[in-house]
Amino acid sequence: MASAAAPRPTGPGERPNVPSANNRFPAVRDYEQVDREVIETLQPSFGWFAALATAIFCLLIGISTWIYQIHEGLGAAGYQPPVMWGVYIITFVFWVGIGHAGTLISAILYLFRAGFRTSIYRVSEAMTVFAVMTAGLFPIIHIGRPWKFFWLIPYPNWRLLWPQFKSPLVWDVFAILTYFTISSTFLYVGLIPDLAVLRDKETNPIRKRIFAMLSLGWRNSDREWRHFMRAYLFMAALATPLVLSVHSVVSFDFAMALTPGWHATIFPPYFVAGAIFSGIGMVFTIVIPLRRFFRLQHYITLNDLDAAAKLCLFTSMVVGLAYLTEFQIAWMSGNKVEQDYFWNRVFGQWAWAAWIMLICNMVLPISLFSQRLRRNTTWLFILSIFINIGMWFERFVIVVPSLSHEFEPWQWGSYRPTWVDYGILLGSFGWFFMWFLLFIKQLPVVAIAEIKEILAPRMRSQHGGGSH
Amino acid sequence: MSNDTKASGVKRRDFLKILGAGTAAVSAAACSEPTGKLIPYLVSPDQTVPGVSTYYASTCRECAAGCGIIVETRDGRAIKIEGNPEHPLSRGALCARGQSALQGLYNPDRFQGPMIKQAGEWKPITWDDALSIVGQKLGEVRAKGAAGAVFINQHESGSFPAFLDAWLGGFGMRPHLSVDFEADQAAIEAHRRSYGVAWPRFDFAQAKLIVSIGADFLDGWGASVPQQLDFADARAKGEEAPRVVYVGARRSLTGLNADQWIPAIPGSELAIVNFLAGKGDVGAAAQQSGVTANVLSALKAELDAARPALVVAGTRGANALDVGLAAAQLNVSLGAVGTTVKTADAVAGFEGISRHTELLEAVTRMASGSVPIAFVRGVNLAYTLPASQKFADAFARVPFKVSFSSYPDETTELCDMVLPDLHSLESWGDAAATPSVMSVQQPTMDPVFAHTRATADVLIALGQKDAANAARYPNAEYRSWLIGRFAGGQSAMSTALAKGISAGSIAARAVAGVGAASASVSQQGDYHFIVYPSPVLGDGRGANKPWLQELPDPVTKIAWSSWVEMHPETAAKLGVDRGDIVEVKTSAGAVRAIAIPYLGIRPDTIAMALGQGHKSAAGMKVFEFKDTEVQWGYGRYARGVGVNPFDAVTTTTDAAGGFVWEGMKASLTKTGDHDIVPSTEGSARQHGRGIAQAIVAGQVEKEEHEEHIPGDASHAFLPGLRSPVAADAQGELGAPTAKDHGKDLGLYDPADIRGMAKRRWAMTIDLARCTGCSACVTACYAENNIPTVGAAWQNATVYAVQKPGFNMSRGREMNWIRLERYYEGANDSEFTPDFEARFVPMLCQHCGNAPCEPVCPVYATYHAPDGLNVQVYNRCVGTRYCSNACPYKVRYFNWFGYGEEDRKQYAFPEPMNWQLNPDVTVRGKGVMEKCTFCVQRIREAENRVALEHREMEPDEFTVACAAACPSRAIVFGDAADPRWTVAQLAADKRAYHVFEELNTYTAVVYLKKVIHPSPAAPAHA
Repeated sequence: MASAAAPRPTGPGERPNVPSANNRFPAVRDYEQVDREVIETLQPSFGWFAALATAIFCLLIGISTWIYQIHEGLGAAGYQPPVMWGVYIITFVFWVGIGHAGTLISAILYLFRAGFRTSIYRVSEAMTVFAVMTAGLFPIIHIGRPWKFFWLIPYPNWRLLWPQFKSPLVWDVFAILTYFTISSTFLYVGLIPDLAVLRDKETNPIRKRIFAMLSLGWRNSDREWRHFMRAYLFMAALATPLVLSVHSVVSFDFAMALTPGWHATIFPPYFVAGAIFSGIGMVFTIVIPLRRFFRLQHYITLNDLDAAAKLCLFTSMVVGLAYLTEFQIAWMSGNKVEQDYFWNRVFGQWAWAAWIMLICNMVLPISLFSQRLRRNTTWLFILSIFINIGMWFERFVIVVPSLSHEFEPWQWGSYRPTWVDYGILLGSFGWFFMWFLLFIKQLPVVAIAEIKEILAPRMRSQHGGGSH
Repeated sequence: MSNDTKASGVKRRDFLKILGAGTAAVSAAACSEPTGKLIPYLVSPDQTVPGVSTYYASTCRECAAGCGIIVETRDGRAIKIEGNPEHPLSRGALCARGQSALQGLYNPDRFQGPMIKQAGEWKPITWDDALSIVGQKLGEVRAKGAAGAVFINQHESGSFPAFLDAWLGGFGMRPHLSVDFEADQAAIEAHRRSYGVAWPRFDFAQAKLIVSIGADFLDGWGASVPQQLDFADARAKGEEAPRVVYVGARRSLTGLNADQWIPAIPGSELAIVNFLAGKGDVGAAAQQSGVTANVLSALKAELDAARPALVVAGTRGANALDVGLAAAQLNVSLGAVGTTVKTADAVAGFEGISRHTELLEAVTRMASGSVPIAFVRGVNLAYTLPASQKFADAFARVPFKVSFSSYPDETTELCDMVLPDLHSLESWGDAAATPSVMSVQQPTMDPVFAHTRATADVLIALGQKDAANAARYPNAEYRSWLIGRFAGGQSAMSTALAKGISAGSIAARAVAGVGAASASVSQQGDYHFIVYPSPVLGDGRGANKPWLQELPDPVTKIAWSSWVEMHPETAAKLGVDRGDIVEVKTSAGAVRAIAIPYLGIRPDTIAMALGQGHKSAAGMKVFEFKDTEVQWGYGRYARGVGVNPFDAVTTTTDAAGGFVWEGMKASLTKTGDHDIVPSTEGSARQHGRGIAQAIVAGQVEKEEHEEHIPGDASHAFLPGLRSPVAADAQGELGAPTAKDHGKDLGLYDPADIRGMAKRRWAMTIDLARCTGCSACVTACYAENNIPTVGAAWQNATVYAVQKPGFNMSRGREMNWIRLERYYEGANDSEFTPDFEARFVPMLCQHCGNAPCEPVCPVYATYHAPDGLNVQVYNRCVGTRYCSNACPYKVRYFNWFGYGEEDRKQYAFPEPMNWQLNPDVTVRGKGVMEKCTFCVQRIREAENRVALEHREMEPDEFTVACAAACPSRAIVFGDAADPRWTVAQLAADKRAYHVFEELNTYTAVVYLKKVIHPSPAAPAHA
């Protein structure tokens, strides 16, 4: 089955990325096969248990580290004033960014009718929800008195105290909560027909009952499909602006402060591009091993990966342009503080971090101009790891060097995280992958209904319509 | 039901909702914030009104000068010390050391009662038993001949020395030794011979030219506070101010304040002074000192032309007395005596200091076994005598040794008994301020530890027990003795106590004649080696006070550590970087400390500050929270911090009998190790940002500005500094427009009856006056309950570095006001004497348009109607966004629970928490804090004015940093009211705002420093 890779496009008439019965999923014969193969992936395996145990172990490290940090105070982390924000904010932005690719793939590409999204959107959408869940923890982990975090939420109180609506951190609260609400709803709505499949195939009565409830009594009727498609379209349209707005709001955390290196109007588009870029990187990191372990190569085809890699290349170039624009604006601004800062970023104290960022995000993705590399899953996987690292360092380069090299030279400083920062960072990966691993064994990682939708009618009739 | 119920607007349902949420919030709050204790009085003592301060005038005993102080007490506890404005020395100002006396008073490691060493173990003992034992010993000693007995007292002026000598005489013992390691014996001797007083008043303001020959008169050399006041008055003359030239191998704080530095080789100062006096050849002077002949000739020409001029000399080399005498002679020939050197206002506290040679002689007698009994009070000989003197061995040969120390210092550990003294803030005394004014010292509170006793009272008790002496001590208290001696008796004393001073003089003891100088300084090594008393810790006395440990050295900006200063050239030659550990080795011994490249030192010279390196003989390590244990090694805050340079200093004395601390030779080697650098310094260069601006004398009127970052804002001063100036976090409430008509602007309405919006609290800082001494920093710590964070145990618990100063090396210090020291000119690698240092006190600027305000998500920081940028600790959740947004970086975060008493990071261990200002919150972990412009003082003044039904007078009150400032550089007040000084100063031609281009509309206005370039050399402005 591993050999069931899609053939490379041979002639001008054959467009590999347009779904059609002939070349989209050549190895998929009928609905029954789709149901069987996808549901097969839900069988727990030893490897899965091992992975889940590892994730939970990492999470436990993170939790115990956090408890220690709450008890001791934020000083346990590596903050060195004036670097008042560090690993937690970097990781917050990192995870929010990861989330964006999921919504882009599931919502925007849906509206644009980009076929390659079909096979990877479920994974991406789940990734979005879990990434936002991870990101949402960090503002709480990061504050000095986390037990008072609810003061950022506007709620009526006898003191008549409201949050400061001018503060980007309050906007963040709204942005993250909205994003989580929309993306999880969107994920759930898309799951309804698949949940019905699971309900029908399930033999365990308890699980069957749960699936029955979750599938909201889906009966596969035309009327249901009509409502479903409307709702899905509507949700996609609702989610689309969020791709742009949420990360713009996150970028305001920086752009609204007076700090050199932050106070720039380019930040919202720059952050959105970076978010999508990092998200696609994470999609590769997840999807490539997943399609192999779950034997889904004939669903998540090389053509799909190829198309996603092109998107990755494009966003990499946007991000690269943003980097260069920052330098150019600093150079042309005549503002010495800004110039000093950017010089220090690239050639000074933080050169190592800046060059990790530039090489991982700007230079290495250039390789994706080669179609051979775009279709080489090993390279894509390695590159995706570099992109993840590079994008984490992009946020590092934004947060730390700016703060360490501000207006007041007497307060220039440095930053070195401690084991507490690393422990919580590790815990965040544990948290994310724990949810993700639980997800992939409970719910289908490829959208059964959508796959079936694009199978040729011939196949639909061959087995009398299959179960659905 | 009447309509009123409806009108109240709260429905039953809403009320229940709020009640529910409120209960939840209250119970949540109760989990994290423990209940505090209320005032413990059942029956209030007389004159103590809870919440109202009582002030006592007294005398500072932290150094020999004896400045006048005003001690603020609240509910019977001393909480703050400020200078006494009536006092001729301090004139209302006070240095960091004087303010830190409180931490000596409340030191957690103070002895709580008498103890005796039995079989090597220290055991508590009752006073009765202790006195009988001492009385019995005294009897035994007298029977055998007590002439060999030694009483060594920390030098203090006043009546006590005479009292003590009389007591000693009664037991057949010789007069005591009055020791002060910080005193410059050579200078005192030279002053005495040339001017007739030990320490004249140097009236810098009268001089046209000031030449300092190695004298750090702003910080540690002599009476710093009065000298700073006079020096700042001189510098405040702006265009007319005297030029200051500093001659010395190392630029001390005075050197950094000088307009010109002449880096002479240590020991060559004599040749220079002789040349300036016209007694020597310029070629020889140039050759000996390593300074070019041109520079020296130019200086001579300038000195010859300047009338009146002032030369002060304070070298600590082997020829220090000759230098001092030559400089004094030069002053005499320049006609300085009477104009710039004033003997009538002399600092009388420096009279009567025993020569160090006398002390060495006593140690020799101890070693020979001819000392039957020894008493030590306030002096820490085991620490301050060079290791090569082998004091411990000599001391061990004394059969019975009594310490009156309050603290578990090295010397006390070697004693057999400790009879803990009261602190000077708990006891009676007096001091000679000037030849015609005496200063009184009175208890400001009951003793912190009930079982400590004033030494004078102990001596009286011992005298009363003794049949031969009993008749001489009719009263049990030293106070009665003092009153009996006081001219005018009880009533005159009461009058004097109210003011802290009284006309009159107290004769000082005669000082022994000059002995022979021993001139065997270490000659081993390639580098000239200088040690100097730390401006902050003195000769080590200050090391057990966390405020002083936390206060960075004003020159190198290092705290909680020892370091070796060397020029960057030297460091490069040796291949060491900042923080690499080097070894300094002399013929007397070796010490290891971190290397600190410093521009202001000759490449052939290295220097170390004294004061650190306290250790216990028992080898105790870092403090382990066993409060019951005696913290030998000078207490938990001093033990194990840095190294003691005395370990490498040879015991050599100069011709005046003072220890030689300069002109030794030492070798310097790299060890390959590295250690943390606890420093507040980021970059010492301004990078053209115009933070510390200066203007060359003669340019002030021409308004020629230095080049710095251009901005959009007008450089003209903002009129009125009204608050809020611009659209700030609250909107444009400060400038109501037509559309605001009828809106309730509340306190923000200038027409509001409370009038807050009419005010704009502001501050001016005159950089021409500021010397960088850092007294303001400690004043702020004391006033605002700022925790010190540098102790080794104040870091995290798990896998954390436990080193003194570690938090500081990570920039976590909480100094709401900090002293920035920037260099101008020179470069960081090649040696040149031509660079300038600029000091800038940096604190919250209380911006009219504050970047920190709109970013706080919970309104924890907002703009008050009177222009203050307010921080609400209880509301703060700790996002630290405000700090990121602040261009001045003046916000500080509570990384640990420094204010929470159940934590090891707690900064105020019992009884240090008695000092906490009850008007100011102690902050818990996880909240941001910053300068409040002493809002508690503002509100107190407003309330007082309101209660008295009157308008506030201009300059009616001031903030803590301004009150302490010994150079009077800081002025605080209402800038919206033109009658206040601050409003007038803010309109000065030299006024500027830092980072004006950011449109923050700051309330702190700096006045540019005025540079006086050498007539022969170009300016480095």
